[in-house]
Amino acid sequence: MKRLLVPLCILLAIVVATPVAAQRKSADYTEIYAGELTTINYFASASESEQIMSANTVDNLVEYDRYGIVKPSLAKSWTTSADGLVWTFTLKPGIKWVTWEGKDYAEVVAQDWVDSAKYFMTKANASPTADIIYGVVKNGEAYFKGTVTDWAQVGVKAKDKYTLEYTLEKPVPYFLSMLTYVSFLPVNGKFLAEQGAKFGTTNKAMLYNGAYIMAEFEPQTSRLLVRNEKYWDKANVPINRLIYKYNKEMSTLGPELFARGELSYVGIPSSIIDTWMKDPVRKDLVRPTRTSAYTYFYALNFKPKFPAEYQPENWALAVNNLSFRKALFNALDRKAAMLTSEPYSPDRRLQTTVTPRNFISAGGKDYVDMVELAAISKADSFNKTAAADFKAKAMKELEGKVSFPVKIPMPYNASSVEWTNRAQVVEQQLETVLGKDFIDVIPLSFPATGFLGATRRAGNYAMQECNWGPDYADPETYTDPFVTGSNYNWPELAVGYAEANGKSKYENMVEAAKAVTTDMKKRYELFAKAEAYFISQAFVIPYAKGGGGYEGSKLEPFTCPFSPFGMSNLKFKGQIVRDKAYSTAEYTKLEADWNAERAAALQKTK
Amino acid sequence: MADDKPTAASETAAPATTVAPATTVAPATTVAPATTVAPATTVAPATTVAPATTVAPATTVALATTVALATTVALATTVALDPELFTFAEFDRDAGERIGYSNYSYWRSTLRMFLRNKAALFLLVLLSSLLAFTFLQPILPNQRSPTMINLDPTTGHQFRNLMPSAEYWFGTNSIGQDLWSRIWTGTRTSLLIGILVGVVEMLLGIAFGAIWGYVRKADRVFTEIYNILNNIPTTIVLMLLAYIMRPSFQTMVIAMCAAGWHGVARFVRNQIVIIRDREYNLASRCLGTPTRRIIMKNLLPYLVSVIMLQTALSIPGTIGWEVFLTYIGLGLPVSTPSLGNLVNEGRLIMMAPELRYQLIFPTIIVSIITISFYVLGNAFSDASDPRNHV
Amino acid sequence: MFIYMLKRLSQSIVTLFIVVTTVFLLMRLLPVEGYLGDRYDKLSVEQREAMLQKMGLLDPWYVQVGTFYGKLAKGDLGTSAIYRKDVPVLEVIAPRVPYSVRFGLVAMAFSLVAGLAMGVHMARYKGRFWDRAWTGYIVLINAVPSAVYLLFIQLYGTDLFKIPLLFDKYKFSSWVLPTISMALGGIAGYAMWMRRFMVDELNKDYIKLARAKGMPSSAIMVKHVMRNAYVPMAQYLPAAILATVSGSIYIESLYSIPGMGGLLVDVIQRQDNPMVQALVLIFSSVGILGLFLGDVLMAVFDPRIKFVKSEGAR
Repeated sequence: MKRLLVPLCILLAIVVATPVAAQRKSADYTEIYAGELTTINYFASASESEQIMSANTVDNLVEYDRYGIVKPSLAKSWTTSADGLVWTFTLKPGIKWVTWEGKDYAEVVAQDWVDSAKYFMTKANASPTADIIYGVVKNGEAYFKGTVTDWAQVGVKAKDKYTLEYTLEKPVPYFLSMLTYVSFLPVNGKFLAEQGAKFGTTNKAMLYNGAYIMAEFEPQTSRLLVRNEKYWDKANVPINRLIYKYNKEMSTLGPELFARGELSYVGIPSSIIDTWMKDPVRKDLVRPTRTSAYTYFYALNFKPKFPAEYQPENWALAVNNLSFRKALFNALDRKAAMLTSEPYSPDRRLQTTVTPRNFISAGGKDYVDMVELAAISKADSFNKTAAADFKAKAMKELEGKVSFPVKIPMPYNASSVEWTNRAQVVEQQLETVLGKDFIDVIPLSFPATGFLGATRRAGNYAMQECNWGPDYADPETYTDPFVTGSNYNWPELAVGYAEANGKSKYENMVEAAKAVTTDMKKRYELFAKAEAYFISQAFVIPYAKGGGGYEGSKLEPFTCPFSPFGMSNLKFKGQIVRDKAYSTAEYTKLEADWNAERAAALQKTK
Repeated sequence: MADDKPTAASETAAPATTVAPATTVAPATTVAPATTVAPATTVAPATTVAPATTVAPATTVALATTVALATTVALATTVALDPELFTFAEFDRDAGERIGYSNYSYWRSTLRMFLRNKAALFLLVLLSSLLAFTFLQPILPNQRSPTMINLDPTTGHQFRNLMPSAEYWFGTNSIGQDLWSRIWTGTRTSLLIGILVGVVEMLLGIAFGAIWGYVRKADRVFTEIYNILNNIPTTIVLMLLAYIMRPSFQTMVIAMCAAGWHGVARFVRNQIVIIRDREYNLASRCLGTPTRRIIMKNLLPYLVSVIMLQTALSIPGTIGWEVFLTYIGLGLPVSTPSLGNLVNEGRLIMMAPELRYQLIFPTIIVSIITISFYVLGNAFSDASDPRNHV
Repeated sequence: MFIYMLKRLSQSIVTLFIVVTTVFLLMRLLPVEGYLGDRYDKLSVEQREAMLQKMGLLDPWYVQVGTFYGKLAKGDLGTSAIYRKDVPVLEVIAPRVPYSVRFGLVAMAFSLVAGLAMGVHMARYKGRFWDRAWTGYIVLINAVPSAVYLLFIQLYGTDLFKIPLLFDKYKFSSWVLPTISMALGGIAGYAMWMRRFMVDELNKDYIKLARAKGMPSSAIMVKHVMRNAYVPMAQYLPAAILATVSGSIYIESLYSIPGMGGLLVDVIQRQDNPMVQALVLIFSSVGILGLFLGDVLMAVFDPRIKFVKSEGAR
């Protein structure tokens, strides 16, 4: 009887102590990491590992729910002016900034966003993410560049303690999605001024208003995040502590530690996934990792600047021939290439569009299923007969002008084993399909030091694997690499695509889409048309989306906030850690459920 | 080069001998260079005498026996002296001339000493066959290209991580490349790097080290240059070179030479400092021998053994270094197989027991090469030390 | 002697200056994009400019050198630019040094004791079983890449003795394996050296003489052999002790020891100029000081060695 009494008492105490009984139970979260944070200062951070800390310790005006629908966070509500230029946010009262020890410091007020914006837009502070805020806010860019010096003219204002007003340079239909990025986090101006350059260098030089407080930060050893007991949405934060331990050999030792039960999460490198899948016990410890909205594609270079030994003029002539491009386009076997990083189920990362599925939708329809893009996204472009046909056509059309085989220098980053392997696979695969009489793919190794500067940005390639990540919730974000002014593959230089206004057909299509700012469905369809056109002309060969791979994880999937960009998906809020890893079967089922629920939720908000 | 050696050898050997029997014998026989024979008889049994001494082995042996006989006779008894046994030797001027110097050959002695070391001999054979095989392997029939990705004919996809089998003797790696040919190509690459770097470092190191050690005025300057070079982190040099020239075989060789030669120079310098003031050099200098000649003829030959040892050790050292560079991400790209990146790739998957063959094979090769060079270097160093030739 | 030491030290400062300046300039040859991080493509021209400006990279190189030495003269090594943004360099380095030094010293002491003992043992049983057994060990340690055997030791060692896989400063048991791993190479090195030294020395005439005149074996060892063994040791030890500051890259990475190992490589690859400069300054000073102290100690142990060169024949 006595043995039962103690647990009973504890149970009773818990029930009494937590009147809001909604709190789910969770174990602590333990992770091992190889790269130390360079800073926790969100004005200075640009990498995701650092932004994970900001996402969990400081809240924004809005956040996403688990289906990717915007919901209020620190803002209670908001309104937009009729012209879409003025956004007014009303804050929740009583939200507190707390110190690393969890003591109250001040209340979160509208001025905090103004102070933060001013800090971002001050050029001397050299924030790597300043462009995101100054690019949309009225006079932001001018203030940053110094042409406007009066802060009062910049479109960020605290109307009163709880009312914040942003005035934009031009209508931005996706403005809300941008608010989930670091560039729109608030800061307590007094604290920032006190700390000066020290702000965010240690956990003590930070204030917290988010779900967690960084209680310990010992670089190269560990860090500990504990739940913020004064958090406004505490009921939705089941995990008590986030424990991070440092180990540089993580990729080797991590899986072993996870198997020994010492971790809640670990990434499983593709090199050992076979072994784990064959092991009867370990097989159930791994599950697929969610894919990300990063997009990977093979770019064909229209401004070749590579050394004369690889015959850049010859390449320039060849690449301006549609049949030649189409031959390459149809010859690339994505699956063969993907096996280098995703030996199990390579298909789930492959894509035939630049914009990934599940990125955005309108009217209950996913962007990639709209208009002409639908046909492209549904079918694999790898087709040996089509490739052979286009090869014959190209050889006929280019006969006498281009010398075959066409040399195709293809740079890769030698410090990435997967990429190096992939370069070899792609070389062999393309040459097998198209024949060595047609093309000669030459993989070129480059060091990690200054890699992109030496290759893509310098035009020093013929065909190269490139990537791009979205910045906000709008298809426009995926057009950035391909318009004039970018340094990806200069498709504007392609011969025969210029229209009356001197711009290429693709750019005019993009401009037309950008001009539509109220009817989202129409806007997205125009973008989809442009993208479909771009791909059908084989300016690039879409390849895959990011993320993926495998992980061992006790962390419940699909309950954290979801968004393909910004910081919401980096939050631990809403998730629990259970005592057993999720298996692939469980994951797949949860994924299917989530997809169905999401579709329903999206329908509802339409 | 070998001219200097006998001098040194006999010099060192001479004082150690007990001359007693020789003196008794000398008058009895007409052998002029008693000193050369005498130490031999006292120090070691007759077997050593024969090859160590010179012109016509037959005569020497004959002499030795005569000496021995004479000695025993002289010492043992005076009773049974038979005058029949003694004849006067004809005085032959030519023979006297011929025997006036030793035709001791330094390299022949070195080789003889070396061949006596059975373990070293075995490793030499092993290493040479390994070396020969790395070059022969690509021209053997049925060899796959080390970078060719083998595809499964049924699915059309890569033969990933196949265990060693009759088809793939060492199995395949994570993208279906044949490990057997990768390992041999890698061994070739790494050995070539090792040998090239070893030789270049040695040439530069000896050239600079000799001047540094011998020319006193240069000492200070060279020491400072050394301190500077030694304290500039290799990582920076390597990164810059890779950035300028792209990661490749040549980059690797140049970078390693650039980063390693001053160490050899310092080593040579220290050795030279030890022997530069020995009497024979002093004498040479007094006679007005030019510095260049002293370095080339007096000093460097003396250092052959230590230098060879150093070179032999530097080859596996370079391979180890390459493994380390790959570990910190500055090695060769995996598209150029080398022992460094094979070991490193294997290391990443050693947590998976059944994939360990990908680590074990290259590790074994690295170990064999290291042990071989190590033992060979030591054996050769011992053999080439003239003090061991007597 | 004293004047010679002063002269040598002042010379070292010049060397140090050249080394640091050279490294300073070499770092400036690295590509600019290395300073700007992964968002490079999305940054505006002004942002890039602002970021480089903040790191002081837009000035001409001689101004940058001047600023660096100006600050250094005031004892300011600057703040880390990338590795730990805005944190003073010394604050990054200071907490790490004790770990590396502690591990390094214990490992060194251990390897000295074990290695020398092993060497003596080998020399005594030259050509017999123990000599061969220990030679086998030495060859193995030298032959197998350390990146491989250290990992094996860690995995099976921690499993076998049921101790934590990773280092935890509060658990004594987690200090053991890294220290032993670190000492393995040293033991082999010292043993090999000691054996060679002993074998050579014991064959020397003065030892034979000592034996011949009836000096006890132990006295020969202590008074002659060991006495002479100190000399090269004396030259080597100070440098080795000081070098523990730089830590061990493999072992510290494997066991997550927050020491100095690999820090230099890391900051060079990340192009954190102030960190690189500070570390090069520290490591070079330590290296040069080590050699210098070695020479001084050697002269103390071996009266035949003189610093002041008498110019001329000898």
